Amino acid sequence: MPDDEPMLTIRGLSKTFVGTKALDSVDFDLRSGEIHALVGQNGCGKSTLIKVLAGYHAADPGAEIKWQDRALDLHDAAASRAAGFRFVHQDLGLIETLDAVENLILGRAVATAHGRRIRWDAERRDVERRMRMLGYDFDVRRPVGELGAAERTGIAIARALWDWQEAKVLVVDEPTASLPREEVRILFDALRRVRDAGLGVVYVSHRLDEIFAIADRVTVLRDGGRIGTWQVADIDQDRLVSLMIGAEQLRPAHDRPFAGDEDVVLETRGLCGTKVDGIDFTVRRGEVLGIAGLTGSGREEILPLLFGAVSRHGEVFVDGQRVPADPRGAVRAGLALVPADRRGDGAVLAFTLHENYALTDLGRFATWYGRVKRTDERGEFERWIAELDIKPPRPDAVFGTLSGGNQQKVVLAKWMRRQPKVLLLDEPSQGVDVAAKATIHALARDIAGTGAAVLIASSDDAELCDTCDRVLILRNGRIAAELRGDRLTAEEVGVLQLETPAQESTLPR
Amino acid sequence: MSQTQNTTAVQPVPAGSTRPEPEPAADRRSRPSPLGRLSPKRISAVYLWLFFIALFAVIAPDTFLTQTTFTLVFRSGVITCVLALAFLVPLTAGAYDLSIGSVMALALGLIVYLSIHTHLPAPVDALIALAACGLTGFLSGFIVVRLHVNSFIATLGVGQVLAGAVLVLSNNTELIGNLPDYWSNLGTDNLLGVPIVDYVLLVLAAAMWYVLELTPIGRALLATGGNPDAARLAGVRTERVTWGVFIASGLISGLAGVIFSMQSGLFSASIGPGYLFPAVAAVFLGASQLSQRPNVWGTLIAYFALAFGIQGLTLSASSASVWSQPVFQGVSLIIAVAVASRPVLRKLRSPRTEAAAAPHEVSADA
Repeated sequence: MPDDEPMLTIRGLSKTFVGTKALDSVDFDLRSGEIHALVGQNGCGKSTLIKVLAGYHAADPGAEIKWQDRALDLHDAAASRAAGFRFVHQDLGLIETLDAVENLILGRAVATAHGRRIRWDAERRDVERRMRMLGYDFDVRRPVGELGAAERTGIAIARALWDWQEAKVLVVDEPTASLPREEVRILFDALRRVRDAGLGVVYVSHRLDEIFAIADRVTVLRDGGRIGTWQVADIDQDRLVSLMIGAEQLRPAHDRPFAGDEDVVLETRGLCGTKVDGIDFTVRRGEVLGIAGLTGSGREEILPLLFGAVSRHGEVFVDGQRVPADPRGAVRAGLALVPADRRGDGAVLAFTLHENYALTDLGRFATWYGRVKRTDERGEFERWIAELDIKPPRPDAVFGTLSGGNQQKVVLAKWMRRQPKVLLLDEPSQGVDVAAKATIHALARDIAGTGAAVLIASSDDAELCDTCDRVLILRNGRIAAELRGDRLTAEEVGVLQLETPAQESTLPR
Repeated sequence: MSQTQNTTAVQPVPAGSTRPEPEPAADRRSRPSPLGRLSPKRISAVYLWLFFIALFAVIAPDTFLTQTTFTLVFRSGVITCVLALAFLVPLTAGAYDLSIGSVMALALGLIVYLSIHTHLPAPVDALIALAACGLTGFLSGFIVVRLHVNSFIATLGVGQVLAGAVLVLSNNTELIGNLPDYWSNLGTDNLLGVPIVDYVLLVLAAAMWYVLELTPIGRALLATGGNPDAARLAGVRTERVTWGVFIASGLISGLAGVIFSMQSGLFSASIGPGYLFPAVAAVFLGASQLSQRPNVWGTLIAYFALAFGIQGLTLSASSASVWSQPVFQGVSLIIAVAVASRPVLRKLRSPRTEAAAAPHEVSADA
């Protein structure tokens, strides 16, 4: 249980980059045996703070970083390691073709037998023991690429804490960004075990409900400064959001009730994929339909199926016309897909913003002799920059350098320009900060308001309840339930996703 | 679990409230100042070119600084340059075509063979050869798109099969073509002091530059090369793009064979594969010029910079003629790519993007 005496104390930490103060005299402290959440919007300075701890950035002179009473020297990564800091980054850095044992052997001295032969059996037993200590039970000889996201995160934690006795602080940076909801629990269990072993855990996440589920204390950063630190028990989510965004106002998402008597835009008959097993539904003009379900229920497959991104059986109709089962045909029929894997499927990372934007309708700015009028292209995109508050506001910025929320806005803009009849949003707010999330939700409502149908598939139950008129709940590839109106609550959605409606919600305290 | 993440205000998110983390300037094509356009970072090969000319002008003034040298380099370099452009097209769309040298040999072999065994006029021979090359490109496209074979392997295989085909054609002997004089004059004559074949190269390069850089087709190619999944989901017909670039590459390689037949009416089965490396080297070297991706003018600049260096070496040290060319090309390719890949990597290596920082011009799958 947490001591009240902080082990790590940071006072007056500033970090200035050319012209910008990324951190401005920030104080932070961490007790042994606590999980301390660090929250704030993109650009608030939390990643800079983490990089200072990791020895990647040097703090400005005058900062005081102490472990108990001893000043710490964090001038490089080795010094940070020697001081007891361990990190699990969002990109776990595992080699997918190797198994857990092989991944965990990399980069450390291994006891070998004669002929420098690795004692694989001993290593495997060691890894199995360590994974069990973290609460995992899986075959450590399977390639990491075949494991679930939660298990991979567990391997990264095991690697970070390999020299358990030397470690004092574990920093986990957005570990759940790519994690399905139901696997979050496994990760939380592992983190609690780390905490109970007496380490301090710094937990960074955009998902605020998680902070209430796991953290003991929470520190809010905004614009490079510390707003304050609270016991999680003393604060609620609304207050936390307003602390993070300050004077800014979020765009309201749900301001227009859906009448429900408009024309049907989208209809499916017998839609089947690898998980989805015969789904029929209709969506009306102006409606925002949510799709909930555990991973494996078909939720993650249904939007790519509708769009023809993966091969399907069954039929999809838009305005009564049959839609061909390939992306180009879907685009022409008026569908638009904002994919879940933004970086992999959503955009060309090396392209500029306006080039990515133009991709959905390459011919629009072409003259009769084929030349693309770049000035017009940029000009049109600049209106979206203003509309969606994209940062940096430069059409020539390279897509891959943007933060998650801004990338998502560009992907949205490139579809909005086609004025789709049906907008498919797959995990639209994954890895996106609070303000961008609100912008995206408001936009989804706006589009519905102009007469389009919007489908949102999400593992974030609260997101569905906030934005949707109606939510379909999938189980085992079929529609198990439908919620609307007063019954549409996050609790209800959470319970209905489970096979047997149990007493346990998805995120137990 | 509270579900109200939205407070009750109306106005949109004001600007300037979230500050982006300081990141290295990341503009690929922000407009450089006039001086920046001439910076060694953008056009190092031009400086290299000038350096070679100055160097060998001092070492071998009598032989190097003559019109013969310039005409020779610009005339004989055309074939490699055209092949380099043939390699560039699929590379832009993320595919490799290693069969370019063999396709050129096929075109040359067909033209020479037809000139001996038929009475067709030379231009008709050339058109037949071009059609055959387009067909091999179509075949490569089929193997890559329909059979899902990696382009590297597919074209390596096609190239080898073609090497066998030209052996059949030549019966493993040297064929001496029966081509008319006007045909070979096209390959050796000058117009306004410039070899005629260089005009062909310039027209081809200008057309390719226009299509690749300025039209929707070029954008579709670049997108397919940059991220085929995202391009497909945005409605780009990536399979058609891949198929098309192989046909284009085949046709352009065929054009190199046509030019070859103008410059020398000889054919032996050993011609062809030797042209692959210099062409590939020019493309990758050229990728460091003007912009940070393979491009038409960079390719030509890089090729001629190297060609002048090689020519200078050959003229100033007669014993260097045999070995200097491959050594020179190999060393300069490695150095140029090593230097050029650094800023590209650093540009993409902001912490959030590190995972996806593979430079797009090196993605081999199609």
